[in-house]
Amino acid sequence: MLNPGKAVKVIIYLSEGATHHGVPVYSSILDFLFYRGVAGATVMKGIAGFGADHHMHSAHTVEISDHLPLKIEFIESREKVDALLGKLEELAGSGLIEMQETTVAKPAQVSKPAKAPAPAHLKIQGKAQMMRIFLSEEDRWKDKPLYKALVEAMRANDIAGVTVYRGILGYGAHRRMHKDHALHSAHQGSVMLSAIDTAEKLRAFLPMVDQMVEEGLVVFSDVDIIKYAYRALDPAEEAASAAPPSASEPRSLP
Amino acid sequence: MKERFAARMVRIHFGEDDRWQGKPLHEAILAKCKELGIAEAIVFRGIEGYGSGSRIRRSGHWTLSKDAPIQLSIIDTEEQIEKLLPFLDAAVEEGLVATSAVEAVRYTREDAPHDPKP
Repeated sequence: MLNPGKAVKVIIYLSEGATHHGVPVYSSILDFLFYRGVAGATVMKGIAGFGADHHMHSAHTVEISDHLPLKIEFIESREKVDALLGKLEELAGSGLIEMQETTVAKPAQVSKPAKAPAPAHLKIQGKAQMMRIFLSEEDRWKDKPLYKALVEAMRANDIAGVTVYRGILGYGAHRRMHKDHALHSAHQGSVMLSAIDTAEKLRAFLPMVDQMVEEGLVVFSDVDIIKYAYRALDPAEEAASAAPPSASEPRSLP
Repeated sequence: MKERFAARMVRIHFGEDDRWQGKPLHEAILAKCKELGIAEAIVFRGIEGYGSGSRIRRSGHWTLSKDAPIQLSIIDTEEQIEKLLPFLDAAVEEGLVATSAVEAVRYTREDAPHDPKP
């Protein structure tokens, strides 16, 4: 949450047609900023402009109209911006990122308490925690399945790894009881997410779960990690290592 | 609505062909859980595996079975789980039951009717 005083305004200039792993860049950046708890962000669409390639793009030329300029703006504290910048540079690709010193005269009002910032990611060994989230496959968050949104949110918060399991049968908190019976109705759409990381990081992520999960059960248990390979942000290191933490609880990164 | 409680998680491993009174064992256990009003139960089918539930066991070796591995995860309070254990003792002829203490957070919609525990 922003406080009055010094802050940084970040402006990212993109082309509307730019994609990152098949998704529009502005939408991956917006998701990333959201999941990382940025105070607010706005995407603006230009009607004409040109960029580094010096091609004039305007709404009049039908064939290149998907190259119209886009601008994403957000204001955050210097520390938060520094923490986000690495990933933003990666997401923005060839786009320009501009930063301006600014002063927050009056922060926006929030009704909910701000979530605690996620601690910096660490290589972990030995003791850890497993968080399992039980949901219905049909649960949705905004425009996507809830389990997918949770995986994205965990990735944005550097949770070491998560796997989604689809159950063949189940019932639970996420199922409404059958109207005429005192029993839950069995169904085919139970899903379990299993994530492993340090207790602090999983706890820091819980407010995000609070916000996203309407019905479901979250279970924490202590686990011992036998082997651990962290997915580094560096793509070279990323390719070099990928190992499950233990044989009995196999997992992989989505 | 959000509630936190100390809970116990039971994981039961056996084979898909295992039966209890003519019914697939996982369905029988799920039905028992519902009868007891257990909070959460989910059945997973594994791709491959072996263990006591694979049933085929020759000369001291564990052998791969065609019968898919099944894992059931059940979560509720200690008292609720205690009520289920005698049934598991009777119904799970060959299999592994592992329990662990966990901390649970349950989310329920305000408007939805939910079970009376914990």
